[in-house]
Amino acid sequence: MSSGRKFAVDSWQLAVCLPVIVMLFLSFSEVPSIKAKTGSVRIVFKNTVAGIPLMLDSAKYKNIFGEPFTVTKFKYYISNVSLENKTDKQAEKESYHLTDARDSTSMSFSYMVTEGKYRDLVFLLGVDSIRNCSGAQTGALDPMNDMFWTWNSGYVMAKFEGGSDSSKAMRRMEYHIGGYKASENVVQNIRLHAATPISITEGKETIIIIETDISKWWQTIDKITIAENPICTTPGSLAKRIAANYSNMFSIQSISNN
Amino acid sequence: MIISAANGPGPKPTYLEFKIPDGWPKPPTDIFAKNRLSEEGFQLGRKLFYDGRLSKDGNFPCASCHQQFAAFANFEHDFSHGFNNTFTTRNAPPLLNLAWMTEFQWDGAVNHIEVQPLSPMTASNEMAESIDSILIKLRRDTAYVRMFKAAFGTTEINSQRMLKALAQFTGSIVSADSKYDKIKRGERVFTTSELNGYNTFKEKCASCHKEPLFTDNSFRNNGLPLNTFTSDYGRMKITRDKNDSLKFKVPTLRNVAVTYPYMHDGRFVTLGQVIDHYRTGVQTNQPNLDSALRNKLPMTLTEKNNLIYFLFTLTDSSVVHNPRFAERQ
Repeated sequence: MSSGRKFAVDSWQLAVCLPVIVMLFLSFSEVPSIKAKTGSVRIVFKNTVAGIPLMLDSAKYKNIFGEPFTVTKFKYYISNVSLENKTDKQAEKESYHLTDARDSTSMSFSYMVTEGKYRDLVFLLGVDSIRNCSGAQTGALDPMNDMFWTWNSGYVMAKFEGGSDSSKAMRRMEYHIGGYKASENVVQNIRLHAATPISITEGKETIIIIETDISKWWQTIDKITIAENPICTTPGSLAKRIAANYSNMFSIQSISNN
Repeated sequence: MIISAANGPGPKPTYLEFKIPDGWPKPPTDIFAKNRLSEEGFQLGRKLFYDGRLSKDGNFPCASCHQQFAAFANFEHDFSHGFNNTFTTRNAPPLLNLAWMTEFQWDGAVNHIEVQPLSPMTASNEMAESIDSILIKLRRDTAYVRMFKAAFGTTEINSQRMLKALAQFTGSIVSADSKYDKIKRGERVFTTSELNGYNTFKEKCASCHKEPLFTDNSFRNNGLPLNTFTSDYGRMKITRDKNDSLKFKVPTLRNVAVTYPYMHDGRFVTLGQVIDHYRTGVQTNQPNLDSALRNKLPMTLTEKNNLIYFLFTLTDSSVVHNPRFAERQ
């Protein structure tokens, strides 16, 4: 879902811009420091329930309170991705990705990074406030992706739906976590520190596998049970509590080089 | 980038300048900064606005609830008709001077002109269509393929382009040429009744219905009793703040003579009824009642009648009868 469409520059714009880009390239290429060696980093998300790979629809799970649940939908935005060390920050441009557990191709993305060793993978879980109020977007942020509220403008940052016998809401469980304004902001700053350096080598791809543990939605900061809160589909304090919990759902599982 | 000949670059669109009427404030944000206004974009937006295919059964274009002769409000309807014999739950507002508006709908639910149409398009009691289906229908129509290319350079039809084109059309509807405007420019003069009404307006109404837009685009509780049929608390739904209970956006008074019925639920049919609400009907026991209405707005019947005469001077044929904003024949 991270869409190639975001590169669809209008052709007449390209016709205007291309000579400028070429000139810029030529002028930069005379400056040695600009010719940085680059390699690629691929970031892969693997959804689990407390370490067990997530299976949609059929698999039955229990949360830490022993409440049973199934998962029918699990989607979240990853944006503003960068690799960082003490002196350098390598940010992805136009960095917006929507992962969807139902679409395996949406679960990873890659971008080019200057060769070097990095220690932190940094991103937002959600969409930064600016893009929540900048009008019609495309690519991962296209409202067609069913992650944009039309009754109260703004993105649903993460969506988790399923069923649970503990739910009094027709045995449904629906968490649509959104809100970008200061008082209701659920966007989470995620910084994953790698135990060993993330090494980027020219012409090679470094793969970072991240585990996303859905069971954290009910725990870590605040205990939230399905029985009490089976539904959250508006911004506000419950959404913020759930978001604070799920800010802890990511961990680096492995780093490897190809 | 590889571009096939058929999909090749078209000529540049004919860019247009968005003119701010003399003496008007600058819009709080430039809605055309990232959506450069062009003749081709405007014409595409105009076609979309009048196209029933944007709705599920073809019967509900944007224009079904936003009629030009009603200043792009819904003539004589308190609530509008939607898909499958449904009703909306609020009165359709006029689409005027939207370039000066940053929060849309009666409760400010929508934060940008470009994303506003998503709401009626997908609501089950309005156009009831999915964005995917709309785009599929548009892509089948070679006229649209041509028009998207003319407006945006390539034949790609996506939601962003559709919404930007609609914003070019609706954002271009500026009402600034009513009799009132001509008087302000020294081209015409008020009658005695109108002038007296204008003085009453300035004294009693202008703090919220601020000139020249005739709204300050704020949300206020104007002392209407709750509509128990819709149980609509307005702005509170968006902010979840009880201080915003029963607050609704101050509507513009431009073209107010043709936008009846009035209020967020269309409960008043005539301007006389509206003014009577402010004279005598305001529920002053509501804790967050707008401070300007604490003592209601006492007015003699003569003042009331003159005020109505003044409000008639805000009807603007450059909007209501302008062929540029009409459906293309």
